[in-house]
Amino acid sequence: MAKRSLALQLDEVVQAMLVSLQPRPERAPDRELASLARVARGLRDLPREEFRATLKSDLQRRASMSESTAAAKAGTGEEQARAVHYMRPGLSAITPYVIVRPADRFIEFLKSAFGGVERMRMPAPDGSIMHAEVAIGNGAIEVSDGNEQYPTAPQAIHLYVDDPDATYARTLQGGASSFYAPTDEHPSGDRWGAVKDPFGNHWYIAKPRGWTPEPGGLRSVQPYLHLREAHKMIPFLEAAFGAEAMGVHTSPQDAVLHATIRIGNATLEIDEAHGENQPMPCHLHVYVPDTDAVYAQALRAGATSIEAPRNAPYGDRAAGVKDAWGNSWFIATNLGK
Amino acid sequence: MLRRTDSKPQGYSSVTFLILGSYIVKATMATRRPARKLSAKGAGEGVPAEARASAAAGSPNERVLVEAAQNDAAKFDALYELHFERVYAFVASRMRDRASAEDVTSDVFHKALANLASYEWRGVPFAAWLLRIAANAIVDHTKRAAREFPAPNDPPEPAGDADVQASEMRVIEHRAQLFRLVGQLPAVQKQVVYERFVEQRSIKEIARRLGKTEGAIKQLQLRAVQNLRAQMEGSHG
Repeated sequence: MAKRSLALQLDEVVQAMLVSLQPRPERAPDRELASLARVARGLRDLPREEFRATLKSDLQRRASMSESTAAAKAGTGEEQARAVHYMRPGLSAITPYVIVRPADRFIEFLKSAFGGVERMRMPAPDGSIMHAEVAIGNGAIEVSDGNEQYPTAPQAIHLYVDDPDATYARTLQGGASSFYAPTDEHPSGDRWGAVKDPFGNHWYIAKPRGWTPEPGGLRSVQPYLHLREAHKMIPFLEAAFGAEAMGVHTSPQDAVLHATIRIGNATLEIDEAHGENQPMPCHLHVYVPDTDAVYAQALRAGATSIEAPRNAPYGDRAAGVKDAWGNSWFIATNLGK
Repeated sequence: MLRRTDSKPQGYSSVTFLILGSYIVKATMATRRPARKLSAKGAGEGVPAEARASAAAGSPNERVLVEAAQNDAAKFDALYELHFERVYAFVASRMRDRASAEDVTSDVFHKALANLASYEWRGVPFAAWLLRIAANAIVDHTKRAAREFPAPNDPPEPAGDADVQASEMRVIEHRAQLFRLVGQLPAVQKQVVYERFVEQRSIKEIARRLGKTEGAIKQLQLRAVQNLRAQMEGSHG
């Protein structure tokens, strides 16, 4: 019975401790109980297991992002110069191809919000935009009104800028709606804000620590794919494009929290779709050294054909495939002058 | 700043010196006197006088771990695992509520990760570096809270100053060890501890959730606390 009464006594001490605003219960009557009460007082500050696990995930995600920043920086100097022969001048290995309507208004948005510079515009016979190219920072975005075969497909783009706050403000002036204003609290450690533009694209506007914009530096424009079963995208890209996964961080349940994937001299990012970051199947323009080989690899890796390799009138060997997530990959090799 | 003696004790290799706990014991033994009241919580709670480093307080590998993380941020995990309980115990002892303790702890590790490159190995243990970040984060948080939610009738948050006294460190190490030991309890005891102390559920509610009698829950609570006490005594030799 003595033991049972100790259980009751201890609980009285614990109960008093938990409900009382006083940090300390009444003086315990005997040494046995007093020593147990000391342990119990320590338990009052016990951290939540979920907090411990979540913070760990957050830190992994942030570590992954700082890693990919460094890796992307390292990979864009000399290699870019070497690799450029198979790319159309002004484009890197991965360029988002944004199909939205009306494309001309979208181009105006890119100019006003991001200081975009229109480099090319090819009108279709009906006056819509068949193809346009807008440079942003050291990267570029391709734009089209699309057609029946290629309906509108906004996408998520991670944009590195000099001044995220000013850029964010300009996107709002251009009609974008805010997910959140730039903050230093983002898990990446970068100053980071997020908006949705009037055309449905998501923009993650960020400035990495210690970044200086320069032609050979980190890419200003990186596609960001939110995917279901994102972990399966990594082997697909490795097999299809010879991509390299850098800093893959997963949750205890194996969901991809963040991964940076490098193809040639450029990178894209993926994560498991969550919250407002739901899948947005999109179009990406990928320059590779050998379109025919990559097209064949992509089909073997499970993609379906949109268009077999052909010599396009603008001087590229071009093909198209669709992946299992519904994203279209325009594969191209610039055939030179 | 973690207060410490000016020079390393003779005969201690730098590796030994990394073991923060023993380092604190040295400082404590040298200056033993009645525990100073440090904060509303945590001070003078009769920590065994012989408290010394837990096995996890530092290890000969720690320098290797820090350098690995400096070269590859993905390796920061190992440092987090090693120091989470210590940082949390320290922050929780100075904050008034759990939400603030979590905010500040999160802030400390994010800052540590972001500034890892600036940490230099000059005889200051990595744990001491983390706790200095923590002490500053607590002061910042307290100032911010006072600005955003002025509550003149409330007692001030017991944030203290940015100094971490050796005697306070002993309490922190003791707490951190207690938190680690909870993870080693038999599953049902562990569950009772979390339900009771973290979720702050009543015995009745826990009994309902676990499908047991209230008497059984009180017994499990007692067993858990007794187990922890025995382990704590064991870990302090």
